[in-house]
Amino acid sequence: MGRLKTLTRRAFLIGSVAVTGGVAFGAYIVGRDPENPLLAGLGDGEAAITPFVKITSEGVTLITPHADVGQGVYHAQALLIAEEMDLDLGQFEVSPGEPSAAYWNTAMAEEAVPFKSTDESFAAETMRSVMGGVFKVFGVQGTGGSSSMPDSFVKLREAGAVARETLKAAAAARTGVPVGDLTTASGEVRLPDASTIAYTDLATDAAGIEPVRSVTLRDPSEWRLVGKPTQRLDIVGKSTGTTPYGIDLQIPGMVHATVKMNPRRGPMNGYDASAAEGMRGVEKIIPVRNGVAVVASNTWYAIQAANAIEFDWGASPYPPEQDQHWAEVDASFTEERLNMEWRHDGDVDAALNGAEVISAEYRAPYVAHQPLEPLNAIVRVDENGAEVWANHQLPGFLKMQVAGVAGIEADQVTFHNQYGGGSFGHRLEFENITLATEIAMQMPGVPVKLTFSREEDFCQDFGRQIGAARAKGVVKDGKVEAFDLQIATTSAVASQGGRMGLPVGGPDTQISAGAWNNPYDIPNQRHRAYLVPELAPVSSWRSVGASGAGFFNEGPLDEMILAAGGDPLEERIRMCTHDDARKVLEAVREMSGWGSDLGPNRGRGVAFVNSFGVPTAEVIEVTMTDWGIKIDKVFVALDVGTIIDPDNFENHVQGGVVFGLGHAINSELTYSDGIAEQTNYHAAEGMRLYQTPEIHVRGLENAEKIRGVGEPPIPPAAPALANAIFAATGQRLREMPFNKFIDFV
Amino acid sequence: MKKLIFALILTPLAAFAEGETVAINPPVSATTEEGLAAWGRIYEVASHPRCSNCHVGADGYPMWSGPSYGKTRRHGMNINAGESRVGAETVPCATCHYARFEGANDAPHMAPQVAMDWMLPPAEAEWFGKSSVEICNQLRDPERNGGRDFRALASHLDHDLILHWAWTPGGGREPAPYSLQEHVNDVLVWGVSGYPCEGDTQ
Amino acid sequence: MKLTINGTEREVDVDPEMPLLWVLRDELGMTGTKYGCGIAQCGACTVHLDGLAVRSCQVPVAEAAASNITTIEGLGTPDAMHAVQAAWVEHQVAQCGYCQSGQIMQAASLLEVNPDPTDEDIDNAMSGNLCRCGTYVRIRAAVKTAAKTLQEA
Repeated sequence: MGRLKTLTRRAFLIGSVAVTGGVAFGAYIVGRDPENPLLAGLGDGEAAITPFVKITSEGVTLITPHADVGQGVYHAQALLIAEEMDLDLGQFEVSPGEPSAAYWNTAMAEEAVPFKSTDESFAAETMRSVMGGVFKVFGVQGTGGSSSMPDSFVKLREAGAVARETLKAAAAARTGVPVGDLTTASGEVRLPDASTIAYTDLATDAAGIEPVRSVTLRDPSEWRLVGKPTQRLDIVGKSTGTTPYGIDLQIPGMVHATVKMNPRRGPMNGYDASAAEGMRGVEKIIPVRNGVAVVASNTWYAIQAANAIEFDWGASPYPPEQDQHWAEVDASFTEERLNMEWRHDGDVDAALNGAEVISAEYRAPYVAHQPLEPLNAIVRVDENGAEVWANHQLPGFLKMQVAGVAGIEADQVTFHNQYGGGSFGHRLEFENITLATEIAMQMPGVPVKLTFSREEDFCQDFGRQIGAARAKGVVKDGKVEAFDLQIATTSAVASQGGRMGLPVGGPDTQISAGAWNNPYDIPNQRHRAYLVPELAPVSSWRSVGASGAGFFNEGPLDEMILAAGGDPLEERIRMCTHDDARKVLEAVREMSGWGSDLGPNRGRGVAFVNSFGVPTAEVIEVTMTDWGIKIDKVFVALDVGTIIDPDNFENHVQGGVVFGLGHAINSELTYSDGIAEQTNYHAAEGMRLYQTPEIHVRGLENAEKIRGVGEPPIPPAAPALANAIFAATGQRLREMPFNKFIDFV
Repeated sequence: MKKLIFALILTPLAAFAEGETVAINPPVSATTEEGLAAWGRIYEVASHPRCSNCHVGADGYPMWSGPSYGKTRRHGMNINAGESRVGAETVPCATCHYARFEGANDAPHMAPQVAMDWMLPPAEAEWFGKSSVEICNQLRDPERNGGRDFRALASHLDHDLILHWAWTPGGGREPAPYSLQEHVNDVLVWGVSGYPCEGDTQ
Repeated sequence: MKLTINGTEREVDVDPEMPLLWVLRDELGMTGTKYGCGIAQCGACTVHLDGLAVRSCQVPVAEAAASNITTIEGLGTPDAMHAVQAAWVEHQVAQCGYCQSGQIMQAASLLEVNPDPTDEDIDNAMSGNLCRCGTYVRIRAAVKTAAKTLQEA
């Protein structure tokens, strides 16, 4: 319990208010369920059974509140409901629904607490439940942190089961047949005489009775849909160009806009739009915060005109030159900037004292998000409120942001969530939303579609946090005897939270995430996190802290194991204290044929990271050719407890590996004169098809709790690659992007 | 379909008449010294990234070199012009470097466009990484220069609009040295002086 | 100015320099063709002009007037998919899907020119199409399946 007290004493604000039993939320309030948002606006003969199921005579709509940015969660959420509800694929529509406290994320709180995911102690569980309570009371609806499946797994199946039992109860009431004699299948209730009543026929009856709340979930052995290969509901649309993204919507009366804001993130001192004013298609030129928006009849006209405006941009709030950023990072390994000592096993200082110390410094730069669909939003403001169309992962906060800009209540904001063309954390920020609102306020009643040009998106990106690590170790008798890791990064949590107006207190849970919670039993091991004061504004980049911390842990550890004369994979297995983790390591050992001779100029590397509760191991095989490194094969094993959609799971893991490797190879954001130097994909392209290796995926299901897989494949990718390159060439890479030091083919 | 692609790509050659025209006025005579001096300037042009990046050998990978690129490397995205030298076997150059008349190439880092479909020269005209003597010998050899004399080379520089791009590349790229007209003049001097190359024994 | 798109004549009145991409998306509401970068670095805007794959962000609309323009909507529909699209569905290629219109158009063009592409041919032809979600493993497989289907047809 001592640790819990220490943490809460350090002003872990949100948690501590609940822990000390502040009046705002006692158990009663936390126990109360939010209103069902489907009840409002329900017509005659329409039923809303739980906030997730709507039935009319026309059809069944399943509410899938988690935003789909490409990870396939609309389909996965629908599977969970349809499974218990005995619907077949094709028998329902899906909708993200209205933003609502009823869709509060029960699982996002997990990452917000400073405990290992494997820590099930009273202190850890208490803190999780407290944070969960806070999320519930605040109605925090959000998609992120690989939490959609953990959030949905029980909740949505329960909703499906409640709907099914309620429909049976409705059928029983209508027919007089006892509920126990009724069954359900393929969207129908079946009577003992083999006659059926379609769910859609029972809408009115169901609307008139109380939902049946006491349900038992089916055993996985009975599943028809969950855990089986199914065709993702959006696949045909996305293969025929018929699924619209936010950027594609056509709202009647819509105008097109683009924006140019200060690339230095400072103020706009002035501008001269005279060249832009007369340009073809331009309708309005509107100053917005830190920049200027152009409204036109076509996005291209708007972009051409915006490019013709001359600006006087103010200075950046951060140092203008990249080397100044690195200098600040390097200056942060101090007592004053120590944010948290996350772990200390044994006595590291004693072990280092007088021994031959191996040390290494590592670096991970800013990287951009830049999903292929650029930032966009459609907003219409009128005397009733505001209507918004966009893809966003924080719908409740979105409404608050729009309301704040428009000077209205959040209740007056209607938000229609859309499919997103990728995110990687990009669609957690609000620039597109608030700027579109600012513009829309200048044109009341007119829907304004704001599209960022790719160049504008790049220069306004809130990249991944910048950071560095210092590792020290001692080896003895063929083993790692001591491992001391210090990590210093800027805080994505504080930067992002600050922009959202959220109080952020307590230790930054991300700086060392993925490193401090490693499962290795090393006699002396210490992890310390240092907070670098804010430099360039940053945000959550897919896998957040672990995207750097995984590299910072697994690179140096590899160096130590090799210095000790050990085998990198065998030693990791030997040191591993966590059963599920050991199994994924053993899996990649088997999958990759680790230990066999690959021949000259070839090598294998391994890395393991547990992020978001998912133990993930990767082995990468490379060849050093005359033209550079070729990445031949990747073997990934990871444990999410239960795999909901196995086909999408494999695609998603492969995609995550490609994402992690691509950025490790060639992507960074660097600042010069306060401006990001990378302006389009030529400068930061990630991986291309020709570089893509074979990627073999094995999903294990030993873990007790279900986890999400959106982020876990990323952190081990970079270190596994660096370790493989070392094995093949003897060259040790300690800084990303790797193409600064070696070529890739 | 490959033939169709070829036809589509080569037809515009005749259709586009835009572009800078040059005066082709060979001198009456020129000395060897003048010829060699002219060759020196021709080599400066030929070895400049705006020319040499596409004057690559049979492996068909255009190059990205010069101040715009930092490190010298092959054209990104695994682009290869293939035996057709226009990418007909896989993805044609014109897919990204679509022909257009004017107003193009303002945006930095955009695929350059000229008033004819983008292409590589034949593999015989490999200049990338070659020495002055090597290029000189290739350019004066009718077996390796498309059967051309100096007049035909000058005419080639006049008509093939893709070559004009070297001096007005746009997008913040460093142009080839001198100018199109000066380059043509140098070719004429070099030709009239007897196509001298260094290392020739008289 | 008149454009022939998917076999239908359309009339637009825009700056002749406007890239075909924006004519399709904003003037005609044909949003299957996507904007990703505007500088031919991502391929999301790929259409066919007389069967040749081109980046529509690089084609001034005036220069497309003489050609038959095919967009993803014209290649195939959910009820009548092109073999490439069917292969994309069979392999469940898409994650977010935003790049896939361009990927499919590029693949379809490749298979017209080169019905039996080698792995190297695919690497050369498709690497101009960027996928930030990293679905390349499945794109390769789908191209091969489509090639087989088309050859057997």
